[in-house]
Amino acid sequence: MAAGAGAGPVAPQPLPTAYILVQGDPVHNVPPGGQVQPWGPGWPLRRGIREIVIIAGTRVADREYQGCEIPLTHNVNFPYLHGPLAIAHDPVYHYVGQDWKHVATAYGPLYTLLSYPLAPLGLKGALWGMKLEALLASVGTLALTWRCACARGLDPVPALLAVGANPLYILYGLGGAHNDLIMMLLMMAAVSLTFAGRDAPAAAAVVAGALVKATVAALLPFMILSRRRLAPILGALAALAVGALAGYAAFGIHGIDVVAALNRDAAFVSTDSFATEIAHLFGKPGVFPIDHDLLKGALVLIVLHLLWRTWRGYDWIAASGWTLLAISVTSTWLLAWYILWPLPLAVVTRDRRLLAATLAVQALFIVHQTAPIFAPVP
Amino acid sequence: MSETATRAERGFGSRLPAWLRPREVELHGTGRVRLIETTLLLLAGLLLAIATVNDVVLQTHVNHRLVADMRTWRSYTGHNFHNISPEQDIFGHTTRDFVCGNTEPGPPKDRVQICLVVTGPVVHGRREVHGGWYLPPKVEDVLSNRYACYGSAREQGLCP
Repeated sequence: MAAGAGAGPVAPQPLPTAYILVQGDPVHNVPPGGQVQPWGPGWPLRRGIREIVIIAGTRVADREYQGCEIPLTHNVNFPYLHGPLAIAHDPVYHYVGQDWKHVATAYGPLYTLLSYPLAPLGLKGALWGMKLEALLASVGTLALTWRCACARGLDPVPALLAVGANPLYILYGLGGAHNDLIMMLLMMAAVSLTFAGRDAPAAAAVVAGALVKATVAALLPFMILSRRRLAPILGALAALAVGALAGYAAFGIHGIDVVAALNRDAAFVSTDSFATEIAHLFGKPGVFPIDHDLLKGALVLIVLHLLWRTWRGYDWIAASGWTLLAISVTSTWLLAWYILWPLPLAVVTRDRRLLAATLAVQALFIVHQTAPIFAPVP
Repeated sequence: MSETATRAERGFGSRLPAWLRPREVELHGTGRVRLIETTLLLLAGLLLAIATVNDVVLQTHVNHRLVADMRTWRSYTGHNFHNISPEQDIFGHTTRDFVCGNTEPGPPKDRVQICLVVTGPVVHGRREVHGGWYLPPKVEDVLSNRYACYGSAREQGLCP
């Protein structure tokens, strides 16, 4: 992190407490010769939890990396042009996931800016700072979900429980301190503002959310189509102008080129994606470029159908939720926290199919994670 | 007349034919669109469920095989090491796996490594070793780093 950055070789740093608690210290606790340790009967479960913590830890480290570079360089484009490998001497580098060492950040400029004040806190401080950020965003999201459910005349308690007590939300979203939570906070702020008839600030909130994570921009066409007023368009344009200006001032042109980051990430493939599972079902080893095109085509058709339905009076919040669900299901790069996106919207719409579909997709994701439980003890 | 209808009539939508005109709320039609949507959703859900279960079964078989590979390596080398690296044949999509580990105690890949070519079905928790090679310390298992190939590894040109 910032402390000590750029000061040459860095002494080994203590590991984050959460990491040591679950994983053990990989440096100091390695058994002599790396020999086999006795495994208890519950080892697959422990391994599953350990994997979650490792994934969460490495992803937090990826984000911590964003806050590391200011003392290193005055090149404002740094996190958007170079991967963490460029700061290999920084203590946080050891915790960056292998897949991300060469990859420049895909996070929106607003989220990257939010990470900068955490840099002086050091490795542990920044880790917990990010977790606190995610916790506060989560509290805000839940409060707004409650408020929106009440505004819609729905029982707020089941709505709150469906989001806040969701295991994927707690383990992956909150545990991993993902920027998706901040995005969801701004998304629910936008929904809440439209209920209050404040269309311009609602659209501005969506744009602010998109500057944290671009996915939430999917709400904007549905909101505009549903409201059919000038206010949300003006609000969105004004927020976009301010956000782009701030992003450009902080990070240069690459900081506001969210389309490039989206295009790059859309080409990734994860083993947990439904696209990969369907490819395996049909005897293919994985996803091919043609499959990316087919999936994008399917997504476009779904979005066009939802836009048409919204134009003809369908609930724009439900349409937005379906779109977010469709994005995650058709994505070849699916992570647990992506299927959280439609959840707060699903609990405040009257189309109960959205909630059922979202929970079903989450259940399938969890089922897919159970494979290690059936493995024999090594 | 409702506020909704008034707004729609005042706007540009009023010049559109009725079936294209924007609406504030959906009409209660025959429910045909909803029925089609729900049917498609159920079919998609069924496909995803089958694909997920199929993948879990596939992955479980692979895990069983990899655990057998590690047991085979320990039994073959006589080293009861934990840090062993089984690699699947991801290009050929066969069940032939390569399993590498240190020849003497030390951190992973920090010593000379021995790699085994493991094939065949799992019998009594182990599989058959048909050949192998060695790797120098601190290198990855790529063709150019392999030496002292023997058995099927030499016959199949798995070493330089």
